[in-house]
Amino acid sequence: MNIKKQPLYTSKDLAARGYEESGPGRYPYSRGPYETMYTRRPWTIRQYAGFSTAQESNAFYRKALKAGQKGLSVAFDLATHRGYDSDHPGVEGDVGKAGVAIDTAEDMIQLFDGIPLDEVSVSMTMNGAVLPVMACFIVAAEEQGVSQEKLAGTIQNDILKEFMVRNTYIYPPAPSMTIVSDIMAYTHRKMPRFNSISVSGYHMQEAGATPLQELAFTIADGLAYLEAARSAGLRVDDAAPRVSFFFALGMDFLTETAKLRAARELWARLVRERFQPENEKSLVLRMHCQTSGWSLTAQDPLNNVIRTTIEALAGVLGGTQSLHTNSYDEALSLPTDRAARIARNTQLILQEEAGLCQTIDPLAGSYAIESLTSDIASGAMEIIREVDALGGMIRAIEQGMPQRRIQESAASRQAAIDSGDEVIVGVNAYRSEEAQEVDVFDVDNKKVLNQQKKKLDHIRSERDPGTVAQALERVTKEALADQQAGRLLEAMVDAARARATVGEMSSALEHVWGRHRAAQTAISGAYRKSFQNKTLFMEIVQEVEAFARREGRRPRMLVVKLGQDGHDRGARIVATAFADIGFDVDLGPLFLTPAEAARQAIENDVHVVGVSTLAGAHKTLIPSLIDELKREGADNIAVVAGGVIPDKDAEWLRKKGVLEIFGPGTRIPEAARRVLGCIAARGAGKGSR
Amino acid sequence: MAKERKQHIRSDMGREEFQSAGMFRAWADAIRSGSRRELARAITLVESARPEDVEPAQQLLELLLPYTGGAQRIGISGVPGVGKSTFIETLGKELIADGRKVAVLAVDPSSPLSGGSILGDKTRMVDFARSDAAFIRPSPAGKTPGGVARKTREAILICESAGYDIVLVETVGVGQAEWQVSRMVDFFAVLMLPNAGDSLQGIKRGILEMADAILVNKADGGMREAALHAVNEYQSAMELSESRESGIIIRSCSALDCITVRSCWQELAAALADRKKDNRFDNRRRDQLRHWIRSLAEDSLMQILQDDRNSQKFLEELAAEVDSGNTTPLRAGLAFRKKVVSGLVDQDERNRMPI
Repeated sequence: MNIKKQPLYTSKDLAARGYEESGPGRYPYSRGPYETMYTRRPWTIRQYAGFSTAQESNAFYRKALKAGQKGLSVAFDLATHRGYDSDHPGVEGDVGKAGVAIDTAEDMIQLFDGIPLDEVSVSMTMNGAVLPVMACFIVAAEEQGVSQEKLAGTIQNDILKEFMVRNTYIYPPAPSMTIVSDIMAYTHRKMPRFNSISVSGYHMQEAGATPLQELAFTIADGLAYLEAARSAGLRVDDAAPRVSFFFALGMDFLTETAKLRAARELWARLVRERFQPENEKSLVLRMHCQTSGWSLTAQDPLNNVIRTTIEALAGVLGGTQSLHTNSYDEALSLPTDRAARIARNTQLILQEEAGLCQTIDPLAGSYAIESLTSDIASGAMEIIREVDALGGMIRAIEQGMPQRRIQESAASRQAAIDSGDEVIVGVNAYRSEEAQEVDVFDVDNKKVLNQQKKKLDHIRSERDPGTVAQALERVTKEALADQQAGRLLEAMVDAARARATVGEMSSALEHVWGRHRAAQTAISGAYRKSFQNKTLFMEIVQEVEAFARREGRRPRMLVVKLGQDGHDRGARIVATAFADIGFDVDLGPLFLTPAEAARQAIENDVHVVGVSTLAGAHKTLIPSLIDELKREGADNIAVVAGGVIPDKDAEWLRKKGVLEIFGPGTRIPEAARRVLGCIAARGAGKGSR
Repeated sequence: MAKERKQHIRSDMGREEFQSAGMFRAWADAIRSGSRRELARAITLVESARPEDVEPAQQLLELLLPYTGGAQRIGISGVPGVGKSTFIETLGKELIADGRKVAVLAVDPSSPLSGGSILGDKTRMVDFARSDAAFIRPSPAGKTPGGVARKTREAILICESAGYDIVLVETVGVGQAEWQVSRMVDFFAVLMLPNAGDSLQGIKRGILEMADAILVNKADGGMREAALHAVNEYQSAMELSESRESGIIIRSCSALDCITVRSCWQELAAALADRKKDNRFDNRRRDQLRHWIRSLAEDSLMQILQDDRNSQKFLEELAAEVDSGNTTPLRAGLAFRKKVVSGLVDQDERNRMPI
């Protein structure tokens, strides 16, 4: 499911594909959404950031704006994403970790303190708890004296990809789509400068989708949202011009550049064909891009500066409207100040020194780029037709089609890397001998948690309980009424004004809709199939077979994620690959508490629990899992961990009893061998009798 | 037989074994007093493929046997995606609300290529799995489907001895495992998808013939009518089929809706109560037990033949004779039987038997 590049492109290739010259700002917009593009205004440098408390993130934002950043992009912590207050018992490890903690409008006011919201555009990555967060944002602006029609920015509000890959949903799919169209309706009426949705392919590629799959499923999602808006009574010209897109930039430079050009072309064609808009603006795809976090390596991290630069260049040559460049240390932790500065400077250098803003779409007419643009557009169209045949994207997701495809791509890519077919410099080839000391940034999660708790207590005691209760009741009533006309958000704004908390506002809806639980599935066979070096593969398979003969059963491993972290690419790949190697793998549900994970490990009587962690909560949650196992007398069950774990945390975790830690880039056969070693260390079968 | 065996063990028990007998008693006590961990370990022991684990497993089972037999054993099967786990989650929560203790034994397919498996049942039963009155154990079917039966049967017994009064056995509808499971449960329910026309074609008629109930799931939202239509189709299909006793339950349900799931359960429980009245329930269990013993005996005989190198070699030789046209398959088969009946082929008798 990838685009195959030819060794040579000539004018014949252009002719064969019916290439026609067009201009920037003109249909089908492959050359850019605007006539003047960067010649009049360069792309917006928009770095995604947020951590700890509102106060700390605010200080970081102010510094960034001073250093040349043009727009803000807010990262919220996982508790907020999932609609929980910081003092909710299931989120203790996640508060303030992977983003900023927001509990009430007060936090939002503090987050933008001293930042004029009528001048700086704000993008917010929020999908699950999108209503309370939008409401708090609107109230924060209000208190600055900025009325909502002046607000510019973007709310991600893209729930479909959450069900596909990112997993920070709250409610079941149907009411979640109601929320999406409610926000589209509200912003259409009251916030004309605000993008009501950012249809995101980024997380698909991060989860393993090829650029082609990313493009196809994202465009299909976009079409599904326009359908939803139409059913909610909006005209396409009311909704489409405020729909924006968000793509990933991976390392395949030509493909990524062509993908962005193809995206605009495909969208313009499909929207015209399926929705017949009157306003030309409805056809124009505007996008934000981010360099790939997955492509960053923990080994030789300075190489990441180079990777990010190449990826960013693809974004610029592809004509993106705004861009985030990752920091080189993000395979290890949240960025340090130094790494964040270099990431920002990467864009400043591209804008100010490289002369890229002087010429519009300089690659147009290139045999290769135009051929690839056309091939990607038609390849994606084929996938979109498959989606159509299933009844559209919502049905396709319900049936698990895109999820399965993406998992397959992820597993075969992992196999290609593990077997050395695909080279990652410093990881599976050209490894550096010298140890690389890199500073890591750490959020003192306990401190943040205490501060948030204190603040919540204070707000709860100061506010008027009657007004809050009344406002929340209205939220519930609007959910029951199911009107999708912006009334949900309206009710939420009142609740936020009364200082209802994000958790309270979310539960007001949960009373009506319930909380969604998605089944975790993992495909099997894809890793084995793509592993080219059969000798290497069979070696580990035989070790597992020998284990099974010796012990009377196969090695059994529970793969879990703990807390609110839904990034499960790693967990799924490990599940698929270990099963392909011959393990019995229990895949745990998302959002488990340590106690629940321990119980599952004991009931299933696994040899080992493998915790996949990416959101920084490992220091709280993993020791607590080990304690739970001990408490139940099951300390013969080994615990290993993998994911984004800085060296100093790894040391600390080992002391707490974690037997093995697998950083990014560990080859799976190697990891499996080490897991077998852990089981042996715990006495395996003998120990369990 | 159990008694004899116990005495035999006791008579020549050494000091070490005596200690280990004490260990088994403690283990059995822990299971009976509700230790989740010891219950889980016991299931691992009976599932073990290691020859030296057979004896300890039987020893433990014998200690538990007096406390078994009290649960309702229900099999639930259906193709992937039909909603088995969702159904079990909803049913399980309802039963627990009624004060019952529910164990779920889920048999998941293993990859024929790698032998490994992905066991994800619990991700679809999160709320149910959290309850103190629930025990859920997914087990890989393993490469040889025949292995499922003995182990699941013994796992059912262990769960019963631990005080679970309902044991649900979940299997993925692929054939052999279902057939075996239907012979170890009191009631075998098959979940179906509403698109009857297609599924009736593709479905293994055999599964329908062992079912005590066909539940057409996903009768919710836009699928309600299709489900009712499917129920009709199954009803007429079953009327045409003469190979089974009447009394099969055919109805629609929605695993998402606790009211329809509860009403399914009530119908099913009523059918079981009826069967208890006129001995059909006990007869079925007795037949199952006989069947179990017989199949164990058959399995072990087969195992003996498979492990006996000379028998295998003789079979090869016979096959060669058939290949070269010297004899017919039937004669070859008879010759093999004769050889086996006259005592297993041994080293000295390597000369070819006259055919």
